[in-house]
Amino acid sequence: MPDPSFVFAQSISGLTAAMFLFLIASGLSLIFGVLRVLNFAHGTFYMLGAYSAYQIVRWLGTGPVSFWIAALGAALAVALLGGIVERFLFQRLYGKEELYQLLFTYALVLILGDVAKIIWGTQQKSISRPPGLTSAVHVLGATIPYYNLFIILLGPAIALGFWFALQRTRAGRFIRAAALDRETLGALGVNVSALYTGVFVLASFLGGLGGALITPMRAIVPGMDTEVIVEAFVVVVIGGLGSFWGTFLGALIYGQVLSFGILFFPRFSIFSIFALMAMVLIIRPWGLLGRPLK
Amino acid sequence: MIRVLTMLLAALLTLPLAAEAQKPIKVGMPIPLSGPPALFGEPASKGAQMYVDEINAKGGVLGRKIELVIRDSKADANEAVRVARELILKENVDFLVGTLTSAEGPAVSVVAKENKIVFIAPIPKTDQLTAADKLHPYVFRVAANTTMEGRSAAEIVAKWPVTKIATIAFDYAYGQDVTKSFVDYIKKLKPSVEIVDQQWPKLGEQDYNPFINAQMAKKPEAVVSSIWGGFFVTFSKQAKALGYFDAIKYNFIGLGEAGTPETTKSMGADYPVGIWGNSYDAFYWDESSPAHREYTARISKYLKDEYPSSWAIQGYIGMQFLVEAIKKANSADSEKVSKALLGLSVDTPVGKLTIREKDHQANRGQLYGKTVKEAKYPFAIMKPVTYVDPTKFMD
Repeated sequence: MPDPSFVFAQSISGLTAAMFLFLIASGLSLIFGVLRVLNFAHGTFYMLGAYSAYQIVRWLGTGPVSFWIAALGAALAVALLGGIVERFLFQRLYGKEELYQLLFTYALVLILGDVAKIIWGTQQKSISRPPGLTSAVHVLGATIPYYNLFIILLGPAIALGFWFALQRTRAGRFIRAAALDRETLGALGVNVSALYTGVFVLASFLGGLGGALITPMRAIVPGMDTEVIVEAFVVVVIGGLGSFWGTFLGALIYGQVLSFGILFFPRFSIFSIFALMAMVLIIRPWGLLGRPLK
Repeated sequence: MIRVLTMLLAALLTLPLAAEAQKPIKVGMPIPLSGPPALFGEPASKGAQMYVDEINAKGGVLGRKIELVIRDSKADANEAVRVARELILKENVDFLVGTLTSAEGPAVSVVAKENKIVFIAPIPKTDQLTAADKLHPYVFRVAANTTMEGRSAAEIVAKWPVTKIATIAFDYAYGQDVTKSFVDYIKKLKPSVEIVDQQWPKLGEQDYNPFINAQMAKKPEAVVSSIWGGFFVTFSKQAKALGYFDAIKYNFIGLGEAGTPETTKSMGADYPVGIWGNSYDAFYWDESSPAHREYTARISKYLKDEYPSSWAIQGYIGMQFLVEAIKKANSADSEKVSKALLGLSVDTPVGKLTIREKDHQANRGQLYGKTVKEAKYPFAIMKPVTYVDPTKFMD
């Protein structure tokens, strides 16, 4: 019978992993929901967010706010890159077959991945936790690092902010409308192409922010793009393609399965994730909170 | 007329022979140059290159220069095999010296066997590389193997005042083999030992939190880890944040070279000072021989680093054995060189090493020590650091 402080500690680490994934997967879900494209390059934006944050911290040194400036700066830089990519490259592909759009995002993965290697080299990089969030709190016999707590609180905060924006603001209404029926929305006089760019920029911002915020906890290394895109994809599929709260739920479940999976399958930690995905797809192919695609 | 023609013919016939003498001896080196394993792989390739440059400066071997062809294996067995085949078929290398992980080593060994090319492994440790069922005339190892490493660790840990021990290792050949050899041997040395927990993250894991929590829940008194390279950096950052090292009172031994200068340097203040580690080399090893001090001065100059890498030496020693074998065989033919390597002894910077005939394994020991913070250096070092001779562990 596992003792309660262990269960608590394990669920906290599951929550932390979940919130990081939610940050990244929400962007992927958004782009799929509105633009109807599975953006493989989203993982690359995450990676570029991490590298950019590292670079900015190198420039600013280790002052009390340099990490936060770096995180915000990296997210903005990646958002800008997303905007440029969407406006000048992606937009030309909207009329074409979806396969071309997919291939394009894959090509982006390869090109931007190599660009990252050229700029930052192939050795892994690392950032320390920001001052102020370096120590931990002891709760129920478990040691919970403050930075983990920060991420766990940030996730739902962003989720709520997002949900509020989607439900209550004009832009949010347009985004939801575009997800349902873009032609009619265009016929109503809304600048759909600007909306698309905006969605892409927002999603890229979230991906870049996720990458920047994960740097104190993990290594910044080539290959982190392809690894996270698979995880984000699993989360989105479990939750339901195009469903916002589905992504949040998917991330929560994913995090806990990852954490506790090793108790049941100590040698096959990655197996537990794919077993989960298979189970969900068999029972509810459109995900837990998704709707059957037309 | 006939005389002129004969002389012309003789001259033409000697041309290819002359060209043959000038053709360099090509050595292929598949090794990880990207990602977390590059922390170890990249300096290893530089060590090999330094030796090659030194030999070439003295005129090469058998009148021929050596050309080292280095390729990134990405620490992946499939990529290493692909690269090895390319080196053999496209680059026409005469020998292979390389690979880092215990996944790549055995895979490339198969390629070497198929192509009858001598393959010297300077880093992979899994016993499987030289096990009776996998051994063939062309594979040789100048690294330690998992039996030697596991048992050396057991000898050290048996002296600690602990009985509840846990292990954490990557779930692949190296992690499995070194953990098993440690567990088997420590149970012999100290039967009261109880293995309370074993964690097996996948090779390449980035999030160790679930494994760290699970291990702490079992309340071990000591931990034997073989998490290596850049992965150890990530693991220990996360572990430190969760209070892991405090919980085990730093009774932790990081096999897989967690005590190397590259690791302690790259982690700076984040390094969990007080743990034990091992390393193939240490520039600060005071009790070393004049040959070692002289090598350290050269590698420091070559790498332009006052605190040079500890991995360069393995690339260096790998090439040393190859070149000495070529000299002994008086040929660059793999058949003859493979026979010359059996029982060959070479004076390396860490002393005399011999590749034994039984399993083509050199008696390569490692440096072990407890890490401390020394005012002289901006990073932790192992002190005191001892070279553990593995001969008694090799059965």
